[in-house]
Amino acid sequence: MNVFSKLGSDMVALWAKYGSVYLGGIGRTLGLAIIATFIGCLIGFLCGILTTIPCAKTDNAVKKFFLGLLRVIIRIYVEVFRGTPMILQAVFIFYGLPYFTSNAFKFTNLWAVAITVVSVNTGAYMAESVRGGIISVDPGQNEGAMAIGMTHWQTMINVILPQAFRNIIPQIGNNYIINVKDTSVMFIIGFSDFFAVHKGVAGATYLYFPSATIEMVGYLTLTLVASFLLRLLEKKIEGKSNYELVQKDALTPTAGNYTLKDKPKNPNKDEEGLK
Amino acid sequence: MSETILEIKHLSKNFGNHEVLKDIDFTVNKGDVTTVIGASGSGKSTLLRCINLLEIPTSGSIIFHGQDVTGRGIKPSVYRSKVGMVFQSFNLFSNMTVLKNCMIGQIKVLKRSPADAHRNAMKYLDKVGMSEYIKALPRQLSGGQKQRVAIARALAMEPEVLLFDEPTSALDPEMVGEVLDVMDKLAHEGTTMIVVTHEMAFARDVSNHVVYMNSGVICEHGTPGEIFGHPQKKETQDFLSRFRKG
Repeated sequence: MNVFSKLGSDMVALWAKYGSVYLGGIGRTLGLAIIATFIGCLIGFLCGILTTIPCAKTDNAVKKFFLGLLRVIIRIYVEVFRGTPMILQAVFIFYGLPYFTSNAFKFTNLWAVAITVVSVNTGAYMAESVRGGIISVDPGQNEGAMAIGMTHWQTMINVILPQAFRNIIPQIGNNYIINVKDTSVMFIIGFSDFFAVHKGVAGATYLYFPSATIEMVGYLTLTLVASFLLRLLEKKIEGKSNYELVQKDALTPTAGNYTLKDKPKNPNKDEEGLK
Repeated sequence: MSETILEIKHLSKNFGNHEVLKDIDFTVNKGDVTTVIGASGSGKSTLLRCINLLEIPTSGSIIFHGQDVTGRGIKPSVYRSKVGMVFQSFNLFSNMTVLKNCMIGQIKVLKRSPADAHRNAMKYLDKVGMSEYIKALPRQLSGGQKQRVAIARALAMEPEVLLFDEPTSALDPEMVGEVLDVMDKLAHEGTTMIVVTHEMAFARDVSNHVVYMNSGVICEHGTPGEIFGHPQKKETQDFLSRFRKG
């Protein structure tokens, strides 16, 4: 018990002194995760939509060639960024770009590098999730839309993507939560996120575990709040489980729908009150 | 002699080496109710899907008002907007309410104003007896209700021909009646329809032209009286005798 009370009092002391520093770190982590997940989703949707453009045997050669090329490029992008560690991608972009171009290109803004690396990574994962979300929509939905003369893009925007989006909300949540945690590797380029704050504080105070515990609680709070909000979004998209019947004839209200505002003055003439 | 809407000429369809349709010929005039009957796997549904270009025919032509729609002259989406289709599995858009299902095609494809589309959707939902359910989502409806909405969705596009691909086969027996009643009503109003069905009573009593298909070819066709009364081919006799016993 002694250990825990010591831990508690150290944590309180740390928070009293460095609370604003921790909060700043949380803010940067949250900001990076939200922006990068959002941009990553846009990239993912774009790639997913482009790779599911139908290519019929009867299409002309130029269209077939460009669609094929597009698929190859997206394939390479996905494989490269999914298949290498984000920490090395950050190194390559931040240190490698000036190295290979003899300082002609370099990022000076840490936020720009961090957002780019995390977004592009998220995009690579989301590209596959979106493709999966699109092909998991019942093919009958596509046929139903084709049968009333809708084009591929009209069908995509109005019918398929709204349903695919619903299917991949859990994936978006997954990616966001991964991003909240994995943005900590951005310390390699000097981005001071929530985890970088811990390293600083622990280095200055030698209170390693109290600070780590604050980190644990902080990260868990961030992810739990995100999970909760995503559940709410899912429920909202799901829609109501019941529906109202719409009365065809406005003069025949359903039971209980009609209330007299005032008591009829003459109770023997009920009809007057109904006017 | 009424106006010819659709002419199918020498239509064939192969899936790989498998010949599903062989040299199909028939004509649909305005106001015709054509039923296509035959055993499962005889190519009935494929024929219907070819007519709507959901399957691209391997050879042959589909002439719609004198224009071959299998060629490059007309965009498939434009042609499909004039040829409605009702599916066995309904295929209502599950992310939209009943009303929106019946409006989306009118707004996006026919470029009607939302007010016009709404009025028109209500007209046809009323016709199929579903106007009370406009706020419901497809998953909240029974099979028969879904199919009636699907019919309203197709009708709202005001197509020249309406194709039905086994519209009652996925329904519980007690719901078949409500859908057949709607189709019966449409037939009597002069809607041009091609119906692939296993409902022999509908074929006999409502349609004016019956096509019997057997292993990818039209085995026999004629008026319901001819097909059901005096079938000429042995295959037709065998097929129909199974229904008489049952």
